[in-house]
Amino acid sequence: MSLVSRLRLRRRRVEKPTALHDVETIPRRRTTLILALALGIAGLPLILLYLILILSSFANHMLSGPDIFTAKYSLQNWRLLFEGKLEPAAVPLYTFRDLLVIILNTFIVAGGVAVVVVVASTLAGYAFSRMRFRGRRGLMEFLILLHAFPGVALLIAVYAIYVWTLKSIPQSMLTSYQFLYTILARASLEIPMSIWLMKGFFDKIPWEVEWSALVDGASRIKTWWRILLPQVKPGIAALAIFAFLAGWEDLIYVHVFLYVAGNIKTLATFIEEAIGKIETAYLPIAAAAGTLYLLPTLLFFIFTQKTLLETMGGGVKG
Amino acid sequence: MNKSRLGTILFFLSPALALVLVFYIIPLILAIYIGFTPLRDWNLKAYLGKFTTQSYQYLFYLLTHDPDVSKVVKTTIVFTTVTLVVNVLGGLALALATFFMEERVSLTYRSLWLLPRLTPVAVYSLLWYYFFLGDASGTLNSLLLRLGVIDHPVSWGTDPSLQPEGSWLILIVVNGFVGVSFGMIIFYSALKSIPREHIIAARIDGATTLQLIRRVMLPQIRWHLVYVTIWQLLSLLTTFAHIFLLTEWGVVDRWWGTTWALYVFNEAFTTGEQGVAAAAATILVAIGAVLGIISLRLLGFKKMMPEPRGEL
Amino acid sequence: MASRTAWITAAIIIIIIIGAVAYYYSGKKGGATTTASPTTTAPPATTSPQTTQPTTTAPPTTSPKTTTTQAAPPKPVLTGNVEKDIVAIGKYLAYHGIHEAKFSVASAGDPNSVMRVYAIVEAAYRLNKILEKNGVDFRIKITTNFRRGGGDKLAQDFETAFQANKNPDIMANSYKWIARFAEEGYILDITPYVEKYQSFINEFYPSLLKAVEWKGKYYGIPQDTEARPLYWRTDVAACIKEKTGTDILANLYDKVKTGQVTWHEVYKYAELAVKTGCSKWGVLHRKGSAHPDLIQFIFAFGGQLEDPKTGKLVVDVPAVYKWLYVEWKMAREGLIPKDMMSWDWAKQIHPAVVCGKTLIWIGGTWHWTEWQTKPYCKGRPLTAEEVKKYFYYTLFPAGDHGDKPVTLSQPFVWMIASNAGKDNKEYNKYKDVYHMIAFLLVVKASDPDLIAIHSIISAHLPVTKKAAELINDKTWVQKLANLQIELSPEVKNAIADIVKKTVNEINVEFLANASKMLEYTKLTPMHPLYPRLANIFRDAVNYVLLGEMTPDKAVQYIISKVKADPELSKAVEIKGEIPKNWQFP
Repeated sequence: MSLVSRLRLRRRRVEKPTALHDVETIPRRRTTLILALALGIAGLPLILLYLILILSSFANHMLSGPDIFTAKYSLQNWRLLFEGKLEPAAVPLYTFRDLLVIILNTFIVAGGVAVVVVVASTLAGYAFSRMRFRGRRGLMEFLILLHAFPGVALLIAVYAIYVWTLKSIPQSMLTSYQFLYTILARASLEIPMSIWLMKGFFDKIPWEVEWSALVDGASRIKTWWRILLPQVKPGIAALAIFAFLAGWEDLIYVHVFLYVAGNIKTLATFIEEAIGKIETAYLPIAAAAGTLYLLPTLLFFIFTQKTLLETMGGGVKG
Repeated sequence: MNKSRLGTILFFLSPALALVLVFYIIPLILAIYIGFTPLRDWNLKAYLGKFTTQSYQYLFYLLTHDPDVSKVVKTTIVFTTVTLVVNVLGGLALALATFFMEERVSLTYRSLWLLPRLTPVAVYSLLWYYFFLGDASGTLNSLLLRLGVIDHPVSWGTDPSLQPEGSWLILIVVNGFVGVSFGMIIFYSALKSIPREHIIAARIDGATTLQLIRRVMLPQIRWHLVYVTIWQLLSLLTTFAHIFLLTEWGVVDRWWGTTWALYVFNEAFTTGEQGVAAAAATILVAIGAVLGIISLRLLGFKKMMPEPRGEL
Repeated sequence: MASRTAWITAAIIIIIIIGAVAYYYSGKKGGATTTASPTTTAPPATTSPQTTQPTTTAPPTTSPKTTTTQAAPPKPVLTGNVEKDIVAIGKYLAYHGIHEAKFSVASAGDPNSVMRVYAIVEAAYRLNKILEKNGVDFRIKITTNFRRGGGDKLAQDFETAFQANKNPDIMANSYKWIARFAEEGYILDITPYVEKYQSFINEFYPSLLKAVEWKGKYYGIPQDTEARPLYWRTDVAACIKEKTGTDILANLYDKVKTGQVTWHEVYKYAELAVKTGCSKWGVLHRKGSAHPDLIQFIFAFGGQLEDPKTGKLVVDVPAVYKWLYVEWKMAREGLIPKDMMSWDWAKQIHPAVVCGKTLIWIGGTWHWTEWQTKPYCKGRPLTAEEVKKYFYYTLFPAGDHGDKPVTLSQPFVWMIASNAGKDNKEYNKYKDVYHMIAFLLVVKASDPDLIAIHSIISAHLPVTKKAAELINDKTWVQKLANLQIELSPEVKNAIADIVKKTVNEINVEFLANASKMLEYTKLTPMHPLYPRLANIFRDAVNYVLLGEMTPDKAVQYIISKVKADPELSKAVEIKGEIPKNWQFP
């Protein structure tokens, strides 16, 4: 149908025979083995750490070494976690947290960030890729340099603006406003990078496709909507994932605008509280919460590999 | 015609620019302004109207008188450069290695190396804290003890005879494992986007893997190297989340484990002085922006931003 | 060329922002100046609920129906009698059409410390009962927020939330925040109320009342406190007695109390324990910070941390030197681990203490119940009987002969936000009355039985004499154990489990004994810069333990760090010199 998908089809066709008669002269299996071994050794600490994390989530204390053989394992931490409890079973009094609400809140923030980032950066990415205007290069440079400003210091100012705008918000809308503000503020941090990625995506689409539409008399906005957007779908998907992850793991914005200003919790603030003071914390619950926190993000990564590759590959091409 | 063109451009740019303006640029300027106020304890109403340079004077005095500052400066320089090199080259190596692997194995490895980026900072730091714990129960110590490499547990980050290298090594390792994944993802996808034909052609011409990497692959991902280098440089200069927890929990030496960003924010936050924090951030951003612009120029950013071709 | 455009864009933006800020402040001038005096603070954000009020203020015409025979009640004034006061307030507000007041309370701590919020819930229940009895159509409602972990994060969040008017109305937190909060006008100056409630305030231990005072005014009411005893392992002591014939524990409590056993003797005992092989270590203490446990050394060597006359912080050189010398010497002889400051709580410190690998542990009263609830040794918690069997406790001994033993408390206190009651109808009009209700809630939450319950279930010490008496009252404790006491169903439910687990004779006896230590208690300064000074002390302790610095070098280090910080050097006095002929041990 479109040129890109036809190109992709052709590439796939090229790939097939290479699997049979390897043109790349080195047998892939052997390369894989050697590299896997090397990377495995380099990544040994990581394997060890995450093994410990997952085992700890089932153990009666936080593991660190040989104690993985002596610890008592059970499903108790997970059960406690889903009941929203932060303490070991021996403690007769619990700090209750409603995990379902917490997960829902996390999804609202992450989903909201994803939507805002995708809309804003598919629009802007197109302009930077396809339109000639003054300050285009300077603006791109400026966008990447914004990253030099530490988020913690930015937070004070973002909060000041929040406080000032609060006066014009009716009491009944407050909670939705808090969510909206958190989402917009957090999304804005992602937008500069997303514009860069999205621009690269549009760069990959041949001009001919767009020209034919424009010659037929369609406006640019129409062309963008009808012709180009369908072709950057993989990019949109990948971008959404990146943005979703950013919203999912955000701590400082969520902490201030939702947790402090409204006692609305997300998974990240939940874990923050679970570890809390390391002097008295019951860490296996934190390990279970950490594992639970990893799962969706990891699944996202694995299931969206293909689209992700498309973004990154095209994304940062000049 | 011209008017409608402007309208079109605004249609495309305004949502993103409005958001960046309201939530990034205005706060940024406001934060720079806050650096010139005595803001403390979040008391916006009381202090935001007062102009003062006391935060800068305070920082300057501290930096010129504190006996520990020389340690902090050395740590910052070593940490930033070494971690930057590790992150960029490590990311590249990982990307190349996973590129040459079979897809299924490659995906497993990429997922593994991505884990640190997906883990909450506190949990990730906790794992490394127990990894380097200076007791026989620490992961590294217990492993080495069992292998017979050492005969008593070593305090890697706090034993005075091992400093400063011990602390630096821990900081670099902990941040390196997070940092490499950024380069890995970007480089890997960039490599994947190189037309297959180029690689096959080079192979048929009899290129070895090394030649293939140097002649065909690296030139094609030059832009990505620039992007990752600058992004990482700016990140390393300003972030301190992991380092904060590692020094707080005492697994690295207090001063050999403190970078400049952590130093000033610790100073500002133990007594709740946001004015000082903002002033410090301003200085940081100045340094970061200058380094960033220099690297953009050095790495030839202009050549990589060609004008759009067929504008109608 | 392109970057020139960027510069112009940036310049325009900067100009816009500066203009906006200037505009904001030109309009806000009046508002900004009124905030200077904390007690009159009227947070501008409250204007939004007010603007929505007119629709809801219509009802007043209905309220006189119930009170037609009475004249309009006068504006209430506190008299010192809770029952009278709450009835007067209730009648007054009900007359003006307000039949409910909402308050939020927040606190933090171990789960055992939930009474830090439930005491207010119970107080509201009790006040509501009084109102009901007197036929007043007015009720108080409480929302709670209890957080796990330390209070510091909660306090910082309180500051943040205050800007958006989302802070809790009443908070129980460490007294150390009073100075900062009072300076910023975040909490209510309750001196006028306290003056009316003299007999109530006289119930509290005088030493604790110092913790709620700032610049001569009251900003809080003590909620709980603790002592930091020195714990001695009885099994290690028995081992020493068996091997050397020295009976360390014989009458030790009194010997410490009278100053007969000082740190010189403690050193010798620790040495005995290690040399005989009875325990691996002589002394263990907190990691990662010098505050508050190790600060006791300064007081034990007769030093001070704050000059009561000037209000300045003090580095008392002789006392600090002696403290660092004790740590340095002990680490050199292997009595304290060199890397003590980087030990892990869960894997090293707690197991070493609970499994008897040390003779002495510089701990706190809360450890007594913590050891009973967490599996630190051999995979299970100790029973109350075991804790009693293995741990002997004394005051923190004097430094030198002639000095006095000490202990250190960090009381939690009730603080009332200066915008307390902000979520209620016509807040701006009846602000004073809402503040009074918040104060009455705190007064009622300080009922002896509530303080006593909190003390027993969380192993904190009571803050009033009456509560201490109640803890000594065996029949009352027995009633509590069986939950046969007057409590609202909500609170009773919440604490039922923990009461069963912790209310027993051994724990109550421990509390009663530990309460006696309060006579010797010291407080650390409330000074806003004290945390910075404490951080410097922490680094110095770490350096001497590691052997990186000798004690005199470390003292020089502390002084140089203080002088390097322009704010700190203004706020700190350095007193005295390193003693010349001092011998230790």
